[in-house]
Amino acid sequence: MPAQIDIKEVHWLLDIVQCIDVGVIVLDRQYQVEVWNSFMENHSGMGPDEVHGKTLFSLFSEIDEVWLRRKVDTVVALGTRAFSLWEQHPYLMHFKNYQPITGQEEFMYQNVTLLPLGGAGDAVEHICVVIYDVTAAATHKKQLEAAQANR
Amino acid sequence: MIPLVVCDDSNMARKQLIRALPAEWPVTISQATNGQEALAALRQGLGQVMLLDLTMPVLDGYETLAAIRAEGLACKVVVVSGDVQDEAVRRVKELGALAFIKKPADPETLRSTLLELGLFDPKATPTALAQAAVLDELKVNFRDALREVTNVAMGRAAALLAKVLNVFVQLPVPQVNIFEVSELHMTLTDAMRGERLSAVCQGFIGDGIAGEALLLFHDSEVVDMAKLLGWHPKDDNQTSEMLLDLASILTGACLAGIAEQIDVRFSQGHPQLLGQHSSIEQLIHLNQRRWRKTLAIEVSYSLEAHNVHFDLLLLFTEDSIKRLTNKLNYLMN
Repeated sequence: MPAQIDIKEVHWLLDIVQCIDVGVIVLDRQYQVEVWNSFMENHSGMGPDEVHGKTLFSLFSEIDEVWLRRKVDTVVALGTRAFSLWEQHPYLMHFKNYQPITGQEEFMYQNVTLLPLGGAGDAVEHICVVIYDVTAAATHKKQLEAAQANR
Repeated sequence: MIPLVVCDDSNMARKQLIRALPAEWPVTISQATNGQEALAALRQGLGQVMLLDLTMPVLDGYETLAAIRAEGLACKVVVVSGDVQDEAVRRVKELGALAFIKKPADPETLRSTLLELGLFDPKATPTALAQAAVLDELKVNFRDALREVTNVAMGRAAALLAKVLNVFVQLPVPQVNIFEVSELHMTLTDAMRGERLSAVCQGFIGDGIAGEALLLFHDSEVVDMAKLLGWHPKDDNQTSEMLLDLASILTGACLAGIAEQIDVRFSQGHPQLLGQHSSIEQLIHLNQRRWRKTLAIEVSYSLEAHNVHFDLLLLFTEDSIKRLTNKLNYLMN
């Protein structure tokens, strides 16, 4: 990141966050959505206007609330990152596989990173949720394991 | 002149601390590298005031405070430590320390603490000559500097762990070594004595400094860990998740502590569970063709009153050593 960012570059950065093929959500401490990029919009079918200010749990009933809260609580309390891996927890939100030809799985496998975002006084006021589509890696690994089991 | 003892096992820590002293504080400085040397200095009347580290070999800070009290030595002690657990602060105060300052000591904090304790008269004239002479003498090498940076970083990680688990974390002096990769393998095999282990590793990179953090859990202790966390893992999958979460905290905090001191920001990859219930040979396949040497930092955390240990290893790539040296040079001089 450049040390000084001029206004044009801010637009670029916003465009990048919008277009990148990774889910980006910013939540406040009440789990209400503040930022929602195109990846989230496209896969969920809900636009930023529809989700803004709503809690993540009300938008996606499949989210394991106890599990997510425990992770977010440590991120807030300690200011460290937290991770979720598809091997332990296949997805945060259930997105249907969108590739009719090459997609062999029912849904999108996800790795998730939770990043603390500091306020002015260092306290963590917001959480950034980054969602990676790891379906291809998951498919390959499962196929490999199946092939080894059949030998 | 006030006789002052600066006690810390790290040359760099003593150097940083002496540099942070108020310039106009009229002191004659004696240095000690552990509690035993400090006590010897106090017995000779060389310490009316002492700045004391906690994590040291031979005789640590707690034991030193206890000995001062037992012998009735008259010395005003300010603890300067990287072990920033609330419980550590409480314990040293209970043992008679007048104040606690976190490492690396900030000159302003040190000044105001000394003022508050009435140990320093702000109207005194500048006489920083003694300090300058001592600073010239003190030579800091790469390993010493990295050990001290790690010491501060692991102290912060321990404070977080203490908060999550509600325990007191015992901190050792971290080990810094440059190994041949084959040697590292042997050392690890030796240290783990055939125990069943689970390992989580996570890559990191920043400013051309890169490596992997490896956290080793002893299988025999996993049940106790779960109890401390208040988790009830039902299967291997949930146990893995617990280990991954713990690893993220410890690795994340330790790396953040190091990064802040050397002014780098590390990107971290997703952590990876290398394996469960395996021997060290099964877990670690070091790439000996690509890597010849590695810089290894080893930190073993143990939880007081519980049979739980974590071994954190930070393994840096060969290429990182030079860049890391450059970064540390800023701190050393």
